[in-house]
Amino acid sequence: MSALIEMRKIAKSYRGAVALKDVDFTLEEGEIHALVGENGAGKSTLTKIMAGAVEADGGTMLFAGEPVAFRAPAEALAAGIAMVFQETSLVPSMTVAQNLYLGDEPFLSRLRGVQVAAQQFLQSLNFTVDPGALVSTLGAAKRQMVEIARAVRLRARVIIFDEPTATLTPEEKRYFFALLRRLKARGVSIVFISHALEEALRISDRITILRDGGLVTTGETPSFTRDSIIAAMVGRVLSGELYRKRDDIAGLRRAGDKALSVQDVSMGNIVRNNAFSLFYAQVTGIFGLIGSGRTETAKIIAGIYKRDFVRGGEIERDGQPIRYRVPRQAMQDGIVYVTEDRKLEGFFETKSIAENLYSGYLAAGLNRSVVVSMREMARLAETWRKTLNIRALESNERVVELSGGNQQKVVIGKSLVQKPRIIIFDEPTRGVDVGAIAEIHALIGGLADEGLAVIVISSYLPEIMNLSDRILVFRQGRCVEEFSPAEVDEERIMYAAVH
Amino acid sequence: MTGWFLLLGRRRQEDTVFLLTILLFLTFSFVLHGFLTTGNIIALLRSVALLGILAVGMGIVVIGRGIDLSLVAILAISVAVFLNLLGQSYPIGIALLLALVGVIAVGALNGVLTAYAEMPAIFATLATGTFVYGLGRSQFLTQDVIYLPPGHDLFTAFGNARLASIPVEVVVFAFILVGAFLWLRFSKYGRYIYLIGDNLNAARNAGLPVRPVIVLQYVVSALLAFVAGLIMAAGIHSMNTRIVNSSLLYDVILVVVIGGIGLSGGKGGVRNLIVGTLLIGILLNGMTILDISDLYQNLIKATVLLAALIVDGVLNPRDEQTDQQGDI
Ligand SMILES: Nc1ncnc2c1ncn2[C@@H]1O[C@H](COP(=O)(O)OP(=O)(O)OP(=O)(O)O)[C@@H](O)[C@H]1O
Ligand SMILES: [Mg+2]
Repeated sequence: MSALIEMRKIAKSYRGAVALKDVDFTLEEGEIHALVGENGAGKSTLTKIMAGAVEADGGTMLFAGEPVAFRAPAEALAAGIAMVFQETSLVPSMTVAQNLYLGDEPFLSRLRGVQVAAQQFLQSLNFTVDPGALVSTLGAAKRQMVEIARAVRLRARVIIFDEPTATLTPEEKRYFFALLRRLKARGVSIVFISHALEEALRISDRITILRDGGLVTTGETPSFTRDSIIAAMVGRVLSGELYRKRDDIAGLRRAGDKALSVQDVSMGNIVRNNAFSLFYAQVTGIFGLIGSGRTETAKIIAGIYKRDFVRGGEIERDGQPIRYRVPRQAMQDGIVYVTEDRKLEGFFETKSIAENLYSGYLAAGLNRSVVVSMREMARLAETWRKTLNIRALESNERVVELSGGNQQKVVIGKSLVQKPRIIIFDEPTRGVDVGAIAEIHALIGGLADEGLAVIVISSYLPEIMNLSDRILVFRQGRCVEEFSPAEVDEERIMYAAVH
Repeated sequence: MTGWFLLLGRRRQEDTVFLLTILLFLTFSFVLHGFLTTGNIIALLRSVALLGILAVGMGIVVIGRGIDLSLVAILAISVAVFLNLLGQSYPIGIALLLALVGVIAVGALNGVLTAYAEMPAIFATLATGTFVYGLGRSQFLTQDVIYLPPGHDLFTAFGNARLASIPVEVVVFAFILVGAFLWLRFSKYGRYIYLIGDNLNAARNAGLPVRPVIVLQYVVSALLAFVAGLIMAAGIHSMNTRIVNSSLLYDVILVVVIGGIGLSGGKGGVRNLIVGTLLIGILLNGMTILDISDLYQNLIKATVLLAALIVDGVLNPRDEQTDQQGDI
């Protein structure tokens, strides 16, 4: 094996604030290299430098022995380095096939031809995506699949994946890892950023750990354990198991009053005769595969989608029938949805952390006067930055410039500012580091202890098991089974979700 | 090439434009006879003020990621109808009120079409603009040019009023600028417009009153068009509805884009409008003194607009990562 990419003393600052300092990184030919670290440690920045999306301020990079300095992703791509970004970069208004072949459609491209080729290609990867579907109609997981497929199709020698598995279900993850191994067997080198340390340990050959923009250590994967990685990431030992199983019934919260009753709710053929109840002072976990209608049901409750007008079923909040036309009405009734797709519909990218938080405050009508209060805005930023441990290099950084995990925290904060009584978290810890996951879980539990009705939608079973006082399983647009986490194991939940 | 744009970008766009404006002003002052005369400067200020008031309206809409192509039609028809009503010896108060109701209705129609019927702003406002012009010309007005009937001394006096030798339109423009600044910066509706322009879906999900605010933004821009029209009529005692077919609308868009209010929404403010207005105002004035024919004026303006749009596209990509992919 020889080094395919060799980076020496890479440095990067944004307006004087250091994001990376003196980082060395090598990628061997044909290896899978995991890159781990806390939110904001500089993982995305380092890989963006590799892929030419960001220019380094200092340091050198050798690719296949030649010194290179890519100034645009297209240059890196031409050289053979492709990157799958953390936030999707597909064109929503085009079909899957068009996105796959974006940039090198045959001259006078025939739509049909592209579609057929895309179909075969997706099949060869075992990806179940309809090539004719518009990207805007796909869920997060399928979008990610398309992006992965695009990078694979470009036949790059190096493929960089920035948190590729965050949006995938366990089944899809298995496909993805099999795919990584196939790529590796073909001689492709892979850089793989993940907050799921078990994945890094399972799939990678070597691991590099970053902390606060600096390199902590690089080594062969077998020389690490989960705990040693965490210790290196945060610089101290974290005690306690992140995902524990709650097997005593006494530890579960008892149901409070009924908050929501959903009866026979339908929307097209995505949500079909869905029925369940929700109680205050409890965390209700919802598990289901992609396409099980969990997100859609949540969005109907929060007024983002409208259920069918005829035979759309009934929803009652505190015994009152509700039918919202816009999310604003739901919000005023105390129902808030925290999105799974933060970039598309979660945050305001050109605005600061403070303004994002304040937008929630304004929307909730908490600012009585017409005049905005800069003091209140600063206070919110102060409070939530502490509560959620939001890290930015500068205080007025635009949210689009934050690291992925910190963006997620902003989105959560923005919803909590509104003081909801019913809150729905859709994949709340996507892209968040291990330490912050524990904090967010504690926060969610705290909300239930305060008496809120909380829903957590997650594709990650350990998260559901750990957080929920009650587990609902969705399949094909409806709630098919209810479990108590104390009496069930992951296999049974998975079985209910699939069969 | 991109490196050069980035250099521009590091410095804020409005600073660069401001620099250009000063350069242009100095060049014209030295090169053009009759540019730096009191008479011309006053004429310059008056035309700048009109353009500027319209640009404030357009700017507000563009910040909310819309566009208002009905602006000039509203300006022309509302004021022409107003003058016509005066000609039919309606009292000025009633005439004003009727015109105002019409203006608000058209603004609200723009808003309803874009926010509730979810039509693209560019088509909706193009349609209402054409509709307003067609309706006004066919139903209410008999000629292209409507004159102010005699006997409205108060109105003409307003048009000629000077505040310490500053023309009244400049004073009004200044007031509107201050008002727009305060409203955009410090009122919650102003913040809503920025948030909606930044990310409509996020604004909707957060529970902001998205659709009412969009309607509001078009009503405000229609009202500003009406104000600009009134000032125009007060100065020249008439309204020529053929202005709808002039390049005024494009001048306004030029001001907004040049000033650095990205068409992708959510960005920019009054500062951008001021520098944009000054630059375009000086450019137009200088070209008129140079007696450049309309054809060439349009060519020059179109070139500047294209350049500004390209710079805007590079500096304010909708999505950094998509843009950086380089293949889209
Ligand atoms: N364009 C930018 N302007 C200013 N600061 C930036 C910019 N991009 C990144 N940063 C800052 O650089 C730091 C490193 O960010 P980076 O995205 O590399 O973190 P990360 O390790 O990928 O984190 P995460 O796990 O949350 O994705 C962060 O503090 C971020 O705020
Ligand atoms: Mg990242």
